[in-house]
Amino acid sequence: MSVKEPPVVLEEPAPERRRLADSQPATTVDRLKDNLYYLRGRGALEISGVYLAIVIGFVVTSLVNPAGFAFLNSNNLSGVLSQNIPVLAILAIGAGVLMIAGEFDLSIGATIGLCGVVFIRTANSAGWPVAFAATVAVGIAVAVINGLIVVSTKIPSFIATLGMSFFWTGVSIYVNGNTPATFFPGVRTDTMVNLMAGNYGYFRSQLVWLVVVGIAAWFLLHRHRAGNKVFAVGGNAAAAAAVSIKPKAVRLQAFAFLGVMVGIASSLYVARTSGMQPGTTESYTLLAIAAAVVGGCSLTGGRGSVTGMVVGGALILTIENGLVLGNAPGFYVQLFLGVAIVIAAVFNKFMEGKAT
Amino acid sequence: MSTLLGLEGVSKNYGPNTVLKDVSFQIGKGEVVGLLGDNGAGKSTLVKIMSGVVSMSSGRYVWDGEEVNRVSRPETERRGVETIFQDSALVPTMSITRNIFAGREITNRFGFLKLRAMDAITTEILDSVVAIEGIRSAKQLVSSLSGGQAQAVAIARAVHFKRSLLILDEPTSALAVRATEALLNYLVQLKSEGVSSVLVTHNLHHAYKVCDRHIVMNHGRKILDTTREDTSVEELTAAVVEGAEGVKRFRQGKPLA
Repeated sequence: MSVKEPPVVLEEPAPERRRLADSQPATTVDRLKDNLYYLRGRGALEISGVYLAIVIGFVVTSLVNPAGFAFLNSNNLSGVLSQNIPVLAILAIGAGVLMIAGEFDLSIGATIGLCGVVFIRTANSAGWPVAFAATVAVGIAVAVINGLIVVSTKIPSFIATLGMSFFWTGVSIYVNGNTPATFFPGVRTDTMVNLMAGNYGYFRSQLVWLVVVGIAAWFLLHRHRAGNKVFAVGGNAAAAAAVSIKPKAVRLQAFAFLGVMVGIASSLYVARTSGMQPGTTESYTLLAIAAAVVGGCSLTGGRGSVTGMVVGGALILTIENGLVLGNAPGFYVQLFLGVAIVIAAVFNKFMEGKAT
Repeated sequence: MSTLLGLEGVSKNYGPNTVLKDVSFQIGKGEVVGLLGDNGAGKSTLVKIMSGVVSMSSGRYVWDGEEVNRVSRPETERRGVETIFQDSALVPTMSITRNIFAGREITNRFGFLKLRAMDAITTEILDSVVAIEGIRSAKQLVSSLSGGQAQAVAIARAVHFKRSLLILDEPTSALAVRATEALLNYLVQLKSEGVSSVLVTHNLHHAYKVCDRHIVMNHGRKILDTTREDTSVEELTAAVVEGAEGVKRFRQGKPLA
């Protein structure tokens, strides 16, 4: 009688695979932690932290030495920060969304000049509500023309819009002449001033515009299918086309969105300054792009967030404000600002690698 | 077996370069077709034409007996064609969920995303479709995945949305052995659901194992179109390596040169 050998196990049974569904957060707290974890490396979280640290620093300095560093003074908060930040931040949202789609617009500053002229001249003849609508319409038209040139000729948007920048400045001088456009007496009504440049103690009405525009832009970009397409086209246009997204149409939409933002920002700008000299707003182009980059937008597209863009704009202007309050000589302001922008960009590049 | 997709006399030129010359073949309903050939044979161009991403220079695209005049991606998508591209067509800067639903987002009637529902479905299909190790969450960016994981996500997406034809362009190149097995078995399973598939691969053993029919391309021409019963791995090898000459020689019983 032969001895029965035990059966030989040739292969170990495959280990039970850990299911993804079992490791998902179940409670609200876990879900929040999870969401926070996946915000890392997107730019917004990090730059908000930096901004918070700077603001806290300024607030403490101001509390210690209110006379020497008047950061918390209502004139400063209302008169400087809440007037300047909304205009730049709204421009940064437009420039940033376009950058996510993978394009640039270097004619933003020139378009502000044209839009400003349109606002003032239309307000003089037809009142400010019509002027506001006309300004936004002109902003969209200008941006869509730029966009059409870019998507139909496939010229890099960098070059195309650089050329168009001179063109639009030329158009605004042609429309307006060389003297600054100004409101006729009585055109700047109380309602208009209250809505677009009203002083409410520690803040001005521009801040309300920023909050409304920012929230709307956030939902459109991060929670709407239109925004999803912008990210897809900027991140990998070929992949987007393979799932029936039309890259050209999406890029044009991003240009049009920038146009809306420039229209709104220009209206707020002239409502405050009461005048517009074509050719004096060029610096806004690079400031808006810098704000978007500081806020985590990638120069190659596909990356960025509305929160980052707004905080980026706020960061640049708050640092500038701190330098002025600290009595830094004029050229130092530029110097520090330049350094701050470059450091922020390097910081973002570093954080990109940490994204999961 | 009735025909699902027929290509008739398809040619494709890129400027002076002819990539496809007068290619015709048919894919039956529920059939698994292997599309074989050396590099530069025109397989990937054929895949892009079938999926509507690239237009053909001349030829007819016949779907279910009816000619499609303007073949575009939305047109093929409507008919239930899904493709897994060789250069895994994902957006690296987006999350897995947003990639899977890009262009086909689940939204409310105002177009706002239902992210939680999409995350749940993504988790579900990642768990069920292919064996993928090491993905932590549907919220992960695709750029944080390995090549094999990204490929698996692309496969999961195509498998989730396919309704009539699944085209796989070199799907196994970045996959681990077990995931490859799972994918090949899945193609066989699709047959019973009446879904056709086209498998483009360099690996003749994979193709021979699961495909009902084999089409071999060489320099933009179709040189062999045969059922599995009528061919062997050896004949396919001869066709891929040596082209039409190789097939002739093989059929005459001569060994590979």
